Amino acid sequence: METLKSALDFSDFPRLDLVVAGSLAILFLIFPVFPHSSFAMATMIQFLMFSLYGMGWNTIGGYGGQVDLGKAQYVGIGAYTTTVMLVRWDIPFWFSMPVGVCFAVLWSFVLGYPLFRLKGHYFAIATIATSLVLKDLFEVWDFVGAARGLEISPIKFPPPDFLRLIFKEDVYYYDVILGFFFVGILYMNWFRKSRLGFQLRAIKDNEEVARSLGINVHWAKIKTYAIATAFVSVVGSFHACYIKNIEPEDTMSLDISILIALMAMLGGAGSLWGPIIGAGILIPLKSYLKEWLGATAGLIGIDLILYALIIMVISAFEPRGIWGIVQKVRRRRQ
Amino acid sequence: MALLELERVTKNFGGLMANHEISFAVGKGELLGLIGPNGAGKTTLFNCISGAYPVTSGRIFFDGEDITALKAHEVARRGLARTFQVYVASGDLTVIENVMVGCFMHTRSRSRARAQAGEVLKDLGIHDLSTALLNELPVASQKRVSMATAIATQPRLLLLDEVAAGLNPGEIEEIMGSIRHVHEELGMTVMLIEHVMELVMKISHRVIVLDYGQKIAEGAPEAITRDPAVIKAYLGERYAREHGAV
Ligand SMILES: Nc1ncnc2c1ncn2[C@@H]1O[C@H](COP(=O)(O)OP(=O)(O)OP(=O)(O)O)[C@@H](O)[C@H]1O
Ligand SMILES: [Mg+2]
Repeated sequence: METLKSALDFSDFPRLDLVVAGSLAILFLIFPVFPHSSFAMATMIQFLMFSLYGMGWNTIGGYGGQVDLGKAQYVGIGAYTTTVMLVRWDIPFWFSMPVGVCFAVLWSFVLGYPLFRLKGHYFAIATIATSLVLKDLFEVWDFVGAARGLEISPIKFPPPDFLRLIFKEDVYYYDVILGFFFVGILYMNWFRKSRLGFQLRAIKDNEEVARSLGINVHWAKIKTYAIATAFVSVVGSFHACYIKNIEPEDTMSLDISILIALMAMLGGAGSLWGPIIGAGILIPLKSYLKEWLGATAGLIGIDLILYALIIMVISAFEPRGIWGIVQKVRRRRQ
Repeated sequence: MALLELERVTKNFGGLMANHEISFAVGKGELLGLIGPNGAGKTTLFNCISGAYPVTSGRIFFDGEDITALKAHEVARRGLARTFQVYVASGDLTVIENVMVGCFMHTRSRSRARAQAGEVLKDLGIHDLSTALLNELPVASQKRVSMATAIATQPRLLLLDEVAAGLNPGEIEEIMGSIRHVHEELGMTVMLIEHVMELVMKISHRVIVLDYGQKIAEGAPEAITRDPAVIKAYLGERYAREHGAV
């Protein structure tokens, strides 16, 4: 009960934040009613997906300060679990998605235990490595289609199918992911005020002090890593039904991992709105660049150049991202 | 029975013997001072007691339980809290949030943690700092916040590492008041490392002196002030003369 109340309680934010957030929420709700291009719709869905990825990342990476650059492997676990279960045994999304979360979380415990013995850059590099190894494994694993990947045929599962999440019109996908998005925000609003949320911030501040306050630092990190993983895996499952064609190179690439982390860092790591702001800037930018430059965008790596620039600017000027700047200005005004 | 008991505790860093076969006991309700020159091994001893460092040899008992092999967070949960001599805060948390982290050791509820943290801050007279960021505060206030955070875990034994270092006489009076309050009103057993002799000699029931990792003296403040070995190693002739010991 107190949990639910805490999740719904945004009263510690200034009125301005709530007005902006509320207006945006209404805008998102009514967006499909207005005339829109399929490009705009696709961008909105991507934006919501990446906001959720970013929220998940933000638990361990933002509040906990553990720079995790290996989230793509959990996108993959979610996406593959849902696809394999659907294609091979006709098991619908709403069942395969939680199963995917279980697999992903189990895997996150297996990795988290040794990974969190590492600190700083070593941790970041190790997360990249584990993600790449899993991707390589999937590329040679025939059961999941190896490098060709797997396809969900809309002929076999005629749309609209609400159980299997197979639709022809994107608007249904939009509605589903928007639902997840709101649930995600409520969860994160609870999380940031929870005991674990506070303990993580203490860990980020100073691990030695955190330990002296009775916090099992290693276990707190592993638990939070599992939470981040669950978020990512859910969206991964959704991604599979939405894209209907997954292969290791797309779903589990390093680009995805970096984009997830970058989103939250640009918007503001360790803040509720940060990942949403980050995704709101980066996803449209990425989409437009692709639209504008066509296939050459990927070829000349312009998005990678952009990411590198953003990372440099953030680490040089404001490690707490855009939201950090807003907070600073506000504190100065007081 | 003693609340804390050390049995021949030794800590080596490579070839350096930071603590050598140190034994002593702290009784319930006692206020114990730990003094000695720079590098004598005082902070290292706190680190060993609180589980931050594994000891090289020897045993440590807390309330009768052998805590030698326990991790820092396990020791903390048994009721042993400490402050840190040097404390680097990134400044993400406000003062009250810092103290709440301590309160969260005993409760999951945020509202309860917040209420308790408010009490502790009021107790130490720094309630007005609640919403300040830790790294924006002067050293004196930071020290009191770190004391408040440790107290928030409701320890039975509180280890304070140089909470009066770098403070002016007025601030020293204030922190002395806080220590007395914690000891007398909250009933905590306190052990403090301090270079500020006015403070440590005035409020300690008993003082232990370390030098080069060894315990060279133990006794009442007046006796310690007169102890030739302590004068030679640490206090100096001038201090002894001014305090009428020689
Ligand atoms: N982690 C460590 N690794 C190696 N040597 C250490 C470590 N910590 C302390 N030492 C060494 O152990 C000795 C005792 O240090 P310690 O910090 O315990 O002294 P101290 O009595 O607290 O001194 P001060 O009054 O200056 O705080 C010093 O020589 C110090 O350099
Ligand atoms: Mg010291």
